[in-house]
Amino acid sequence: MDNTTRIVKESKNKIRAEFERTPLLDRLRSKFINMYTVQRVAWYLFRFLFLLGISYVILFPFFSKISSSFMSGEDFVDVTVRLLPKNPTLATYAGVIKYNGYFEALFNTFVLSLVCAVAQTFICCLIGYGFAKFKFKFNKLLFALVIFTMVVPHSTLQLSMFMEFRFFDVLGICKLLNAMGVIEEATISLLNTNIPLYILSFTGLAYKNGLFIFLMRQFFRGIPDELEESAYLDGSGVFSTYFRIILPLSVTMMVTVFMFSFCWQWTDNFYTNLFYTSAGPYLLPDIVKVPKGLTDGYTTASTYISAAARNACGILILIPLIILYLFGQRYIVEGIERSGITG
Amino acid sequence: MNVNAKTPNKSVSAPGKKKKRGASLDVRKARAGWFFILPFLIGFVLIYLPIIYDSIKYSFHELRILGGGGFELTYVGWENYFNAIFVDPEFMTTLITGLKQSILDIPSIVLFSLFVAIVLNQKIAGRAAFRAIFFIPVILTTGLIGEIDAQNTMNTIMSNAEGINDGSGGESTAAEIISVMDMEKLFANMMIGQEIVTYVVGLVNNIFNIINRCGVQMLIFLSGLQGISPAIYESCSIDGASGWETFWKVTLPMVSPIILVNTIYTVIDAFTAADNQVMAYIDTIYGSTGGDVLSSAMSWMYFLLVILIIAAVSGIMSAFVFYQRRD
Repeated sequence: MDNTTRIVKESKNKIRAEFERTPLLDRLRSKFINMYTVQRVAWYLFRFLFLLGISYVILFPFFSKISSSFMSGEDFVDVTVRLLPKNPTLATYAGVIKYNGYFEALFNTFVLSLVCAVAQTFICCLIGYGFAKFKFKFNKLLFALVIFTMVVPHSTLQLSMFMEFRFFDVLGICKLLNAMGVIEEATISLLNTNIPLYILSFTGLAYKNGLFIFLMRQFFRGIPDELEESAYLDGSGVFSTYFRIILPLSVTMMVTVFMFSFCWQWTDNFYTNLFYTSAGPYLLPDIVKVPKGLTDGYTTASTYISAAARNACGILILIPLIILYLFGQRYIVEGIERSGITG
Repeated sequence: MNVNAKTPNKSVSAPGKKKKRGASLDVRKARAGWFFILPFLIGFVLIYLPIIYDSIKYSFHELRILGGGGFELTYVGWENYFNAIFVDPEFMTTLITGLKQSILDIPSIVLFSLFVAIVLNQKIAGRAAFRAIFFIPVILTTGLIGEIDAQNTMNTIMSNAEGINDGSGGESTAAEIISVMDMEKLFANMMIGQEIVTYVVGLVNNIFNIINRCGVQMLIFLSGLQGISPAIYESCSIDGASGWETFWKVTLPMVSPIILVNTIYTVIDAFTAADNQVMAYIDTIYGSTGGDVLSSAMSWMYFLLVILIIAAVSGIMSAFVFYQRRD
C-alpha cells in the first residue's frame, strides 16, 4: 500500500500532514482478528461457560428441593409436571412447622450452634495465634498433634467418645465428689445435654477444628512481626496486643471460621446422633420426618409425601443458613485472600 | 526463676527498667505462647488422650454393656483385628475398593479445585457471584442436607427406573451427564484402555460430588494464588510470555507448596469423610451391634493405612515442591 506522507504548509506556523489512512475496517481487522485476541476471547468464553455450568450443577439441587417442597400429591403423579408444580401447596410447610416442632428444634439448634461456633472461632484464633507467633519448646510437636486430631477420623473414636461422655469423669473429680457424698454415681452422664459439644468446642477438638487452627495459624504468620514488636515497645503486653491489635485485624478470617463452624454444626448429624438420644433436646435432625397431619389424605402416595416433607424440612433447615451466607460469603473470600497461605 | 542470671546474653532489658520481672522478653513470650495454646493442651490431655487411649484399649477387648448402666471389658488380645481381617467377609474387599476409589478421586479433586481457583482468580464478569456460588456446597451441603440430597437422588433413580416422575426435578442429578457408550465411541480410535474411559465418565458424572468436596481446597488455592506477587506476572508479560507459559513457569511452581498441603488435606478428607465406603462400612458395623469393638479395631487399622498413605504422598510430592526463598 502506498502511504506516502505529504506535508503541506498551510500558514506561517501551521503545517498539515496528509497521508492515506488505513481504512477503519482494516484497522479493526488487524486489531481484533489475530491469534492473540481469538485465544483470549475463546478462553474467556470457555471460562464463563464452565463457571456457568458448574454453578448450575451446584444450584440445581436447591431448585429441585424448593420445587419439590411445594408440590402437592397430584403434582407428584402428574408426568407433565417437571420443576414447576401445577398445584403448589403450602400444606407441607405448615405440617412440618406445626407437627414436627420446627421452632423448638430451630431454637435448640441455634443456641447449640451459636455457642459452639463462637467458642470454636475464638479458641481456634487463640490457639492459631499461639502456634504462629510464639517460639516455645515443642511448638512444632504440639502443632503436629493438632494435625493428628484432624487426621484421626471422628468416627474412629465414636465408641470411646460416647463412653467418655456417657461415663464422664475428669481427673477423678467425680469420683472424689462421689466419695464425699455430693453426687450419687462415680461418673456422670453428659448425654442429651449440650455439654459434650461445648467441651469439644472450647478445647478446639470439635469437627474440623484442626483445619481452623491451621488456617488461623497461616493467617497470623502472614501478619508482620514488626506490628507486635512496635506494640511491645510502646509498653503493651502480649495479651493486650492480642486483643487490641491482632483481633481487630483478623475479623474477616474469624468470620470465615465462624461461618464454617456454625454451618457445619447446624447441619451436623454425626455428633447429634452420638450424643443425643430420643429423650434429649429436640434438634433440627429430629424434624426430618413426615408430619403426622399429612399422611391421612394421601395414604397411597406416601413416598411422594415423604419426598415433599423431606425437601420442605431441608429448605426450612437451610433458610437461616442461606441468610447467614448472604451476609457472610463476602468475608469468606476476603478472609482467605488475606491469609496468604504458602505451604 | 531468675532466668536472666542463667542466660545474660539473651536478656533484652529496656533502659531504665532493670531486671524488673526477672525474665527476658523471649522467656515471657514463650510463657505467653503456652497460655495461648492452653485450651488445646488441656483438651488434648484431659479429653482427647483418654478417648484415643480408650479406643485403642477397646480394640483389644470384648465389650459388654451391662443393664445397670455400666460396661464390662474382657481382654481378648488381637482377636478383633484377626476377626476384621480374616473372619469378616466384607471388610477387606470394602477396604480395597474404598482405597482404590479414594486414590482415583484425590488427583481429580486437587486438579479440579486448582483449575477452578485459577479461573475464579481471573477477571471475569460476575466473579463475585460465581465465587459465592462455588462456596455454597462446602458451607451448606453437609451432614443433614447431604443426606436429604442423597435420598432425593435415590428417589430419582428409583422413579426413573419405574418410569414415574417423583417431581424432584428431572434427570440431572441422577441420570448420567455423559454415558460410557458415548465415550467409548469417542475414545475407540485412541487406543485408550477401558479403565480410563470409565474413570473419565465417572468423573464427569460425579461432578457434583467432586465440587462438593472441593470447597476448602478451592479456598486454600485461592488464597495461595493471591499470595503470588503481581510483579512476577507483570515482568512475564513484558518478556512476552503467553498465559500458558506463565501458568507452567510461574503459577504452578508458586502454588506447588499449596498443592502439597491440599493433597494432604484431600487425602485426609477423602479417607475420613462419612460417605467414604470404608467409613460407611465401619459405621454400619458400629451401628449394627450397638457399639461393637470390632469397629474400633477396623478403624485403627484403617487409620494406620491412611497415615502410611499420607507419608508416602508427602514424601513423593515434597521432592517436586518449589519453595520461594524469602528474605
